[in-house]
Amino acid sequence: MAARSSTPAKGSPLRDAVVIGGNRIPFARAGKAYADASNQDLLTAALEGLVARFGLQGEVLGEVVGGAVLKHSRDFNLVRECVLGSSLSPATPAYDMQQACATGLEAAIAITNKIKLGQADSGVAVGTDTISDAPIAVSDGLRRALLEASHAKTLQARLRAFAKLRPADLKPAAPGIDEPRTGLSMGEHQAVTTARWGITREAQDEIAYRSHTNLARTWDEGFFDDLVTPFRGLTRDDNLRPDTSLEKLGTLKPVFGKSLGPGEATMTAGNSTPLTDGASAVLLGTREWAAEHDLPVLARFVDAETAGVDFVHGRDGLLLAPAHAVPRLLARNGLTLADIDFFEIHEAFASTVLTTLAAWEDADYCRDELGLDGPLGTVDRDKINVNGSSLATGHPFAATGGRIIATAAKLVAQRAAETGKPARALISVCAAGGLGATALLESA
Amino acid sequence: MTDTYTLFVNKGLGKTVAKKLGLPRPALLRRYKSGAPLTVGPVLLVADAASTPDARALGEVMRGWGLDVVERFVASSTDRAPEGTNGPRTPEPSAPAEQRWGAIVVVLTGLSRPADAAAAVLALPDALKRLAPGGRVVTVSTAPADGDAPALAAARHGVDGFLRSLAKELRFGATANGILLAGDAGAEHPSTLAALRFLLSAKSAFVDGQFLTVSPADAAFVDSPRTWEKPLDGRVAVVTGAARGIGAAIAKTLARDGATVVCVDVPAAGEGLARTANAVGGTALQLDVTAPDAGERILAHARERHGRLDVVVHNAGILRDKLLANMDATRWESVVAVNVEAQLRINEALLAAAERGELDGLRIVSLASTSGIAGNRGQTNYGFTKAGVIGHTTATAALLAAHGGAANAVAPGFIETDMTAHIPFVPRQVARRANSLQQGGQPVDVAEAVAFLASPLAAGITGQTLRVCGQNLVGR
Amino acid sequence: MIVTPTTTDGAALDVDVLPVMPGLAALYAKGAASSGRLAAGRAIPGRGAEDSPALTLPTVAHEVDGLATAGLRSHLRDYQRLLHEPGSELLPSGYLHVLAFPLATSVMVRGDYPLPLIGTVHVANDASLLRPVALGDVLDVRAWAERLRPHRRGVQLDVVAEIRTGGELAWRGVSTYLSRGYALPEPRPDDATAPDAAAPVVEDRAPEGTWAPPLPTGRWVLPAGTGRAYGAISGDRNPIHLSAMAAKAFGFPRAIAHGMYTAARALAEVGPARGETYRWTVTFGKPVLLPGTVDVAITQEDAGFAYTAWHAGRRQRHFRGEVTPL
Repeated sequence: MAARSSTPAKGSPLRDAVVIGGNRIPFARAGKAYADASNQDLLTAALEGLVARFGLQGEVLGEVVGGAVLKHSRDFNLVRECVLGSSLSPATPAYDMQQACATGLEAAIAITNKIKLGQADSGVAVGTDTISDAPIAVSDGLRRALLEASHAKTLQARLRAFAKLRPADLKPAAPGIDEPRTGLSMGEHQAVTTARWGITREAQDEIAYRSHTNLARTWDEGFFDDLVTPFRGLTRDDNLRPDTSLEKLGTLKPVFGKSLGPGEATMTAGNSTPLTDGASAVLLGTREWAAEHDLPVLARFVDAETAGVDFVHGRDGLLLAPAHAVPRLLARNGLTLADIDFFEIHEAFASTVLTTLAAWEDADYCRDELGLDGPLGTVDRDKINVNGSSLATGHPFAATGGRIIATAAKLVAQRAAETGKPARALISVCAAGGLGATALLESA
Repeated sequence: MTDTYTLFVNKGLGKTVAKKLGLPRPALLRRYKSGAPLTVGPVLLVADAASTPDARALGEVMRGWGLDVVERFVASSTDRAPEGTNGPRTPEPSAPAEQRWGAIVVVLTGLSRPADAAAAVLALPDALKRLAPGGRVVTVSTAPADGDAPALAAARHGVDGFLRSLAKELRFGATANGILLAGDAGAEHPSTLAALRFLLSAKSAFVDGQFLTVSPADAAFVDSPRTWEKPLDGRVAVVTGAARGIGAAIAKTLARDGATVVCVDVPAAGEGLARTANAVGGTALQLDVTAPDAGERILAHARERHGRLDVVVHNAGILRDKLLANMDATRWESVVAVNVEAQLRINEALLAAAERGELDGLRIVSLASTSGIAGNRGQTNYGFTKAGVIGHTTATAALLAAHGGAANAVAPGFIETDMTAHIPFVPRQVARRANSLQQGGQPVDVAEAVAFLASPLAAGITGQTLRVCGQNLVGR
Repeated sequence: MIVTPTTTDGAALDVDVLPVMPGLAALYAKGAASSGRLAAGRAIPGRGAEDSPALTLPTVAHEVDGLATAGLRSHLRDYQRLLHEPGSELLPSGYLHVLAFPLATSVMVRGDYPLPLIGTVHVANDASLLRPVALGDVLDVRAWAERLRPHRRGVQLDVVAEIRTGGELAWRGVSTYLSRGYALPEPRPDDATAPDAAAPVVEDRAPEGTWAPPLPTGRWVLPAGTGRAYGAISGDRNPIHLSAMAAKAFGFPRAIAHGMYTAARALAEVGPARGETYRWTVTFGKPVLLPGTVDVAITQEDAGFAYTAWHAGRRQRHFRGEVTPL
């Protein structure tokens, strides 16, 4: 598990890529406020809010990049379609990419790399997902029959294709959120990781409680006034439970890990993220581009690192890849955990945060799996997800990265303005497929 | 947005039926379109002998605007003779018999006593019969001033009653409004010309029976088509409550006139706000105007993002109607906080910036209401705040004058918006018809008045409240 | 073939070369008939071993030469889709088992084969892919039965199948079967204490819930049609796999999944780390009822991969095995 690159970025001819601002729509629990909205509706709304906030009407941006995890086949050019449906100049190029829950963050990494290289001066990283309008496909059997029939040259051949159909083939295939290689849902995977690391129910509920109270406070403070644009009458994340308590969270029944044996089922609907609809966008650029457009700069997008883990055969936890990426990211930038002011660790589940922290504190794991000399270290809990995270906001897969980048960038900007000293944020997003994306932001 | 009744009585069977039954037949009002003629026909310019120099000057200006101007300057009431015999400098009106006047401009700046008015006024009856639908009558007279002799005061005040009565006599969407010249402001003052042009144009469609007072003030002004087409070119304007309705219309109208618009509304209204901002190519600022630092944030946003601030339109407002007997603290206090206290606090911040020399020539336009003039049952809270707006506008105008700025208010009457669409049917119909134009106004009518007052051309107009109410039957 | 075949223990075998690969349907019909004959004329379950007539396996190997695979593209594709194998040109070990299976079955329905086909239980399998076999290769297939031996609950034997390409041994599969109620008259001394080191551990005899499963790495949700789907591809249309009603007739509450289907799924899910040549073993426990959900743990061990599958609710093991790169 050696670091992929040990060359420090110092002294490189690369330009700075900066976070100018962000916009998202409030996140909605699946089937609620955005029940009738498509991915294109959601993402266009997020993009339009960004354009309005920064006066980008008619602007030709370097690139708009992002995607959705659950996507209709007709949305092959989803991001481009949203650009064409927005007030941006149609001359703004776009492309779709996808890295499961890390899509939003990976999109920002892709754009900032182009910006640093001089291939683009500006760009928007976007992500959207809707469970409410998820694609329902025909079964594999029906799909193959349809394809075969469409290729068939004669009526007989066409009929032969359909003759293979079985009644079960007529059942639609809903999109799976199970890992294709294991058949385990993400929650079940995390339940295994949770059991392996011995994470308690109480510790998980505490994380969930802090997420909700922190997010509620953040909304009340108006922190999101310039980060969120309402959509379809929804003005706040509707998963937020400002009045939740540890007692209430403690009454919920476990939903994952129930087959693992007595006492091992600790993950509830309260300490796991719900299925959510939403979209986000982050405006990125060079300092010069921002200045030319009279736009503020919140943070420098310093560096990023991604990782994958071998979860298929249980060597590592499905959602532990960021634990691998972070030490490499810190080392390349000559930093330690102590140098970070804000940790934004995506709360796919409360136990994702806790297992990541536990992994960094575990000497054996750090040595055997991360290739470190000793434990990476302990993170001050008061620096983690200070303005709430996915347990409270909900988690529309591809949109989460954008939410976190904008929040983290504003946090470091505020901290630097208060203290007069640079502030740093570390972003960690785990993703399906044993993937993880991490990034380092620094006040501009 | 024109109400269905108005559409019904203006065509086909509906028109015939309404005519036979003598039902009110509100006209379809002409509204501004870029490139459309300023008036619907030639202009008849009428003046008494003493006012002839001013009239002649105005005639030249109007001809410069491409208008067909026919002068009828009357030496005295005895000069009044059948048309075409004597008196008018141009004996035969150039308009063919079947052509109707697009506007009649009556210049009365030289009146010295009531009897002088007869010469010009009595030239009007025949002309009025040939006033085109959507036509305009505009009087230009001298504002009463302290120290006016009794006869002079009577003559100058008389114009007020004359004009308001005439406005009520006009039909088919025609309006009558007046310009009052105050102090040393002359007929050729840029703001006089701007006011005249506004009142002649379709932009003043729902302004009726009103006066605009022009005071002397420096106005950088070049009388060119560009000036009239894009009066706000290069200016930065802030509009509060811009997410929808009148606020959105104001933002769009200011942008049409060349301004870069900062659209402000509460965070909860962000979706509509973004739509407005993107429609006008401006920026959206999600901000509650009642926030203590709202003024500073507006100023900071405008200057950091757009480099300057020229216009602030206080449009944000709320209704919490209740008879006073049933009024609770929340209803009263929230209306006061949003409708007037927020404007005052923001203005204080703007004035402080002006004191620091950071803002020059700022023009503030606040939304008042006819409810703040005439009162309205169930609106003690709303009426209190809207009258308060009229009050603070006068006071703020005085403070801003030192920094080359101005403050004015626009008082809409019944305007067809989402808000008024929720009024029950019968009261809505009554409210709609209770004005000289027998219909509700459109948000753009308010917006046009705001844009006019926001423009640097209106430099000589300050501290005033312009009603946009179709000459609502209540109040002045 | 020039090479004279021998059993694993070195005993010589006669070779009976069949002109074409036999059809399974006909073999099953024959097997059912001979099972009836054997049941009527020979062993009665539970009878003492000393009363049984001597059981001897035929010392003949069946062989089919020149089996062409070039035309199997769509069949292979169907297999790969069903078993989650990648769409490669290389034939997975489980697929080679399917190709050799009719020949192996033909040995078990010979007139001189001493045990009935019906009631024979597949308890373990051990297949080694020694050389990659690709679509288009021409296969020589041979099968025989050997090593009849006592088991606590009857007798066990191995049916061995070998596949050669270009004269070289490419694949060797050993299927271990148990026939309950039979016994060998004179168990060899070394078998008396340890019936068969390679034989399955009978964990299916453990009381319910006493076995503690490991943490799962995967979960299979097997629909009711799983048995029919694998039956269609493998040709193994044993009624106990096809419908609940047929399975009930044989004493099962519902249809049961083919053991080789489940083992081949596990093999597929080891993934590319198994390499192009590998040994793949499986020992079957409690059958997998259809439809059903199976928790599996497929984990990397020192030499290769170990896999275990179980029913999470009942905490019963279905099967376990290993995949070891060669």
